[in-house]
Amino acid sequence: MTFAQALFMGLLQGATELFPVSSLGHSVIIPSLLHWSFKQSNPTFVPFLVLLHLGTAGALLVLYRDQWIAIIRGFFAAALRGSITTPAERLSMLLLAGTIPAGVLGVFFETRIKSLFASPYVAAGFLVVNGFLLLGFELLRRRAERRAALDSKPRAEQEQSFAEAERISFRAAAVIGACQALAFLPGISRSGVTIGGGLLAGLRHQEAARFSFLLATPVILAAGLVEVPQLLSSGVPVGEYVAAAILSGLAAYASARFLLRYFRSGRLDPYGVYCIGAGLVSLALLLFNL
Amino acid sequence: MKSNTTAIGLGVLGIIFLLIAALYALGVLQILASTTSGPHYKHAILFAVLAVASFVAANFARPKTA
Repeated sequence: MTFAQALFMGLLQGATELFPVSSLGHSVIIPSLLHWSFKQSNPTFVPFLVLLHLGTAGALLVLYRDQWIAIIRGFFAAALRGSITTPAERLSMLLLAGTIPAGVLGVFFETRIKSLFASPYVAAGFLVVNGFLLLGFELLRRRAERRAALDSKPRAEQEQSFAEAERISFRAAAVIGACQALAFLPGISRSGVTIGGGLLAGLRHQEAARFSFLLATPVILAAGLVEVPQLLSSGVPVGEYVAAAILSGLAAYASARFLLRYFRSGRLDPYGVYCIGAGLVSLALLLFNL
Repeated sequence: MKSNTTAIGLGVLGIIFLLIAALYALGVLQILASTTSGPHYKHAILFAVLAVASFVAANFARPKTA
């Protein structure tokens, strides 16, 4: 992988990680479409992607630095006291409940998922599936809005009728967390399934996005802790890859700021349509070797 | 569901998770791992987190005295 390719991959990963369009899928499909010579099945490719994810996690930590301080303090306070008294304490426990299923599924299904990882055809196929999932989430949300007689009200007012992240149940947090494991499949978006899960649990779009971003951070950091030493020991150009990770972090920060603003009234539909279109076009290009 | 029995059960579960984490970290345990030799830090971290969660749940389940 050349330096320019590494930087491109960093920008691509950072820009697409938090959008519900699967950064992993794009990172698998686009190099194949561009006929880049580096092998995605190379043992350094996964650690490289993890390093880029660490850039994203860093951006999320910066973006939510005040909340993370409150969450960590809240976790220790609630854990030692044995009860929850503040929203930050509840959020910390919800994040723990959401992180465990993703961790268990990730650790035990890692090998099988990696065997699917290297195929751009699989990634393009799952990108289409991801698009239908996003449209499905919005379909169910519109149904919930109709049931609550909100469909004639302005979007901002509709959104205010739904809950904040701290209000969801622990069972819902665990289910949303388990959904994160789907994102180990290239083409299925982590933020897409977790935002969708949040919507089904009755959260506002913006709150579902916030919960998704907070939930992603510990898993990405834990994956990075384990994979990065492999990258350092394999003789790859670490300096170039770190530059790509920094670029990834900057792009992720800008993406997160945009999405949090967008989801004040925006929906997942445009991303669903994009994923279906991009997946089908990618499949056609790959099949006809264009 | 607050009871001393639940709290003790969760505490014991936490200790078991902690032992499993140590065995994975030392490379003694190879069950459900992708390779059959060496330490498995990913598994060790997971079981350490499960242990912490169990201890936290045990403290939540413990009946509180006023």
